[in-house]
Amino acid sequence: MTEADEKDGPPVVLVDPIDMSKLDSEFRNEIKSMPYGDELNACFACSTCTAACPIANVWTYKPHQLIRMIILGMREEVLSSDEIWLCLTCFQCQERCPQKVRVTDIFFDCKNLAAEESKIPETIVGLAKTLMEKGQLYEVTADWEREDMDLEPAVPGLSTNEFKDIIKATRTGKIVGGEE
Amino acid sequence: MSDPVLIIGAGVAGLTAAVELADSGVNTIVVEKLPTVGGNALDLYKAFPTDDCFYCFEGNRWRPGIRKCFYRSALIDQPNMDLKINSYVEQITGNSGKFEATIHVGPEYIDAKKCIMCGLCIEYSSAFSLVSPQCQPQAVTYDPDKADEGDKKAVEECPTKAINLDAQPKKETVSVSDVVIATGYHEMKPVNVDEYSYGKHPNIVTQLELAQILDPIGATDGKLLRPSDGKPAKRVMMVQCVGSRDENYYPYCSKICCVYALKHANILTEERDASQVSVVYMDIRTYDSHERYYREARENGVEFVRGRVARVEPKDENELDIIVYDSLLDKYLKFTVDLFVLSSALEPPEGMDNIIDSLGLNVASGFIAPADLVSENEVVAGDHIYACGTALGPAEVPESVTQARAVASKILQNRK
Repeated sequence: MTEADEKDGPPVVLVDPIDMSKLDSEFRNEIKSMPYGDELNACFACSTCTAACPIANVWTYKPHQLIRMIILGMREEVLSSDEIWLCLTCFQCQERCPQKVRVTDIFFDCKNLAAEESKIPETIVGLAKTLMEKGQLYEVTADWEREDMDLEPAVPGLSTNEFKDIIKATRTGKIVGGEE
Repeated sequence: MSDPVLIIGAGVAGLTAAVELADSGVNTIVVEKLPTVGGNALDLYKAFPTDDCFYCFEGNRWRPGIRKCFYRSALIDQPNMDLKINSYVEQITGNSGKFEATIHVGPEYIDAKKCIMCGLCIEYSSAFSLVSPQCQPQAVTYDPDKADEGDKKAVEECPTKAINLDAQPKKETVSVSDVVIATGYHEMKPVNVDEYSYGKHPNIVTQLELAQILDPIGATDGKLLRPSDGKPAKRVMMVQCVGSRDENYYPYCSKICCVYALKHANILTEERDASQVSVVYMDIRTYDSHERYYREARENGVEFVRGRVARVEPKDENELDIIVYDSLLDKYLKFTVDLFVLSSALEPPEGMDNIIDSLGLNVASGFIAPADLVSENEVVAGDHIYACGTALGPAEVPESVTQARAVASKILQNRK
């Protein structure tokens, strides 16, 4: 409108609000339709989840804020956030939630959605690669300990080949494959 | 025979007290300043917690009646009730069971016994109107401020000759044994709360005004329409604590606004096809079992934003841009809405001061306070003086009814 076009002076409000009409109002329904999302709308933002979380102090978005963002429709921000991947999955938030919102499970849903759109942090992809290539995440490296205990250097009977085949056929295989 | 009981206010509380006392054989004089009984309850559309008029459902099932005429049969059939509409109490003198009350009785332009509500007079002049088809007394009302030429024709052609435009107000002095104050509350018009721009845009309304939009007998037949252009309102935002819990206006929590805001949010999403309903709040205080309204609203997809409104800006004549600070996210959100609803503070009604002063009553935040603050007799305001309902402060309908019945019980115990 004309008035806005002619605006030369400083803005009336010195904030840059998030335009609700640009958000994805269907996002909450998308999460709700997933296996653990049915109680999502019950959230009343008490922030019990954040109080319960052992690592939220280092998060930019706290657990209750992530749930808020899902409800408001901030799809992009939630799915590309590091926090959903940093979650320890200790389930304390979910255990304590007074409204039975499955907070941790919802973060799993978010991770799955993010993975579908290849929004996976490099470190996670790296882990997946290790898993694919070696069939295990933690290899025996410090064999002096085994030596001290009179054990043979390699773990006897350890075979990861079968597991590698299985994981190749799963979504993990697709994720790593997509990166190559 | 004992003197009658004076009841000031014919809303839910006053009428309950009157009916209970009248049914127990006590004469009552009910003074109502408006032309019909019912008070604020008439404008609520659906009252919580039953989502309908409380009085139809509790205790009074044996009386014939439907919504909005909860006292019709009592007012018609109960000889112990003397209702004075368009009237107010000028002063009360005396004490402990011997009071003299001077009542200003408004002019009786329409004889309610004769009026058949045919609507002929309404066609001739805008001074005549019908508050509601179920109003009580069952009669049209006349507003002398809107008098015009059509009045005379209405008088002449009234089929039952029920109109007398020469009617004069009169003063009546009555001896009464007890005084029951049931003067109710008033919803603050938040014109002074600048940040919400109330009164500056037609689509900014209060909760009571929204209730009237939702009322099937209202101007829009209950359809959710924008006042600006009459187009359907799809996006609605409500903001809580407008003037309540605010030292600049009223320091107290108005107690019931959270519940009726949620009630309205549920009606909007379940029955009126609103696509986006947001509630901006500081705390949601759904006391008692009313938490179910909150849960239901969340299940209906109502958006709750904890924070405050930063700015209201009309986008055009019909839409409003509203920037809200979300304190949980620490972000500013911009909404575009069709209707902006303010949950305005519930304040004491005007014109109570001389009665409170002459009777020497305690006051708390403008409402009547119990005579003995530590006793549990919250309805006892003085010696033979009682208060019930929202005259004591914001209250829900069942609470008002319970208090009114407590008053009736106290008066009956005193009379033995």
